[in-house]
Amino acid sequence: MDISASEFLGFLNLDWQIVIMLVIGCVLLWLGIAHKVEPVLLVPIGIGCILANIPLGGVAEKGGFLAILSDAGIHTEIFPLLIFIGVGAMIDFGPFLSQPYTILLGAAAQFGIFGTFFLAYFLGDGWLHVLDFSLKDAAAIGIIGSADGPTSIFVSTTFQSKYTAAIVVAAYSYMAMVPIIQPPIIKALTTKKEKIIKMPYVKGTISQKTKILFPIVTIIVVGLLCPKATPLIGALMFGNLLRECGVVKNLSETAQNELANIITILLGIAVGGLMIGSQFLRPETILVFVLGIVAFSLDTAAGVLLGKLMCVLTKGKVNPMIGACGISAFPMSSRVVQKLGLQFDPHNHLLMHAAGANTAGQIASVVAGGVMLMLVPIFS
Amino acid sequence: MLNALWIVILGMVIIFVVLGILLLVMIALGRIFKSKEEKQEG
Repeated sequence: MDISASEFLGFLNLDWQIVIMLVIGCVLLWLGIAHKVEPVLLVPIGIGCILANIPLGGVAEKGGFLAILSDAGIHTEIFPLLIFIGVGAMIDFGPFLSQPYTILLGAAAQFGIFGTFFLAYFLGDGWLHVLDFSLKDAAAIGIIGSADGPTSIFVSTTFQSKYTAAIVVAAYSYMAMVPIIQPPIIKALTTKKEKIIKMPYVKGTISQKTKILFPIVTIIVVGLLCPKATPLIGALMFGNLLRECGVVKNLSETAQNELANIITILLGIAVGGLMIGSQFLRPETILVFVLGIVAFSLDTAAGVLLGKLMCVLTKGKVNPMIGACGISAFPMSSRVVQKLGLQFDPHNHLLMHAAGANTAGQIASVVAGGVMLMLVPIFS
Repeated sequence: MLNALWIVILGMVIIFVVLGILLLVMIALGRIFKSKEEKQEG
């Protein structure tokens, strides 16, 4: 019998790429467990990354369990949609409905998606050709700026981007970095006078009928105007309708807990399974992470700048800092603005207004994803 | 690059239009229900 030991001993098949990916997997676990950075996602992703890179393990190869999960849930785009049902059931759109103008802040804060898309395409096939970024790859990279994991997965898998794994890891890990990325930009773009603007909040003006109609109306309006966003907005608003209609409490609780938790486990480990060394370790991956920071920064800046415009138009009634919450990193972004407000005036509570902009950003980011899916094929 | 620029411009315009219409619809609905509730209370 002519058998080589390297055919059955994994460590004999180690190469530098595998070693680096095993280290990356361990770092993700360390961030999740020791530093509690998005542990719900980074722990499954970290384990998936380690499993996928064990030589001869075969879990990420055709027929392996991570490959099956990936084929069934990521490539079919089912997992992000199911997660969105859970997210919709968790979100209270009350603060947004009592200040609906905040949806404009959400719209402005999507500029990070398009600005980053333009930059990525400029660096890639569009102009410089220094990186392997096609128009679809650039769109998938830009969508990191949606600050929304399920939307990032949905758009990048629809475009069949080579960088899906890096995009998803960047989207989720940067959400945990919102408290680091946003404050310097908010501080730089606002004056001291603007930072201390107080915004009184009147609670309880939204009727239950409005709360029930909101998800239905949103599905119809967004679906008719931007059909490509229908799967995402439909799943998100279906979850919200379960929450608000008041007659399916069990379904709402299941969507918020069991469904969201099960899909998070499967999605996380399947995304980790996409992090295979030979595909992940490329110069472009590093650029994807850099562009992710650019996307979050541009989102923040655009939201604050529209907030400044609103401040001028309302003669100082809008604190521009809440514009930063137009990115849909819910609820981290609202907390950042609340904290900043208190930092400059210990009696200035901006949380509810910030939460309004934040939940509006959730809807806006889904629409932005749909717009990308609509426009990119037209201009390809 | 021109196609990318069009995507950026049209993308932002469409987002503002879609969300602007949603805003108007929600404001209208809010007013309808508010006035109905006020009538019932009155």
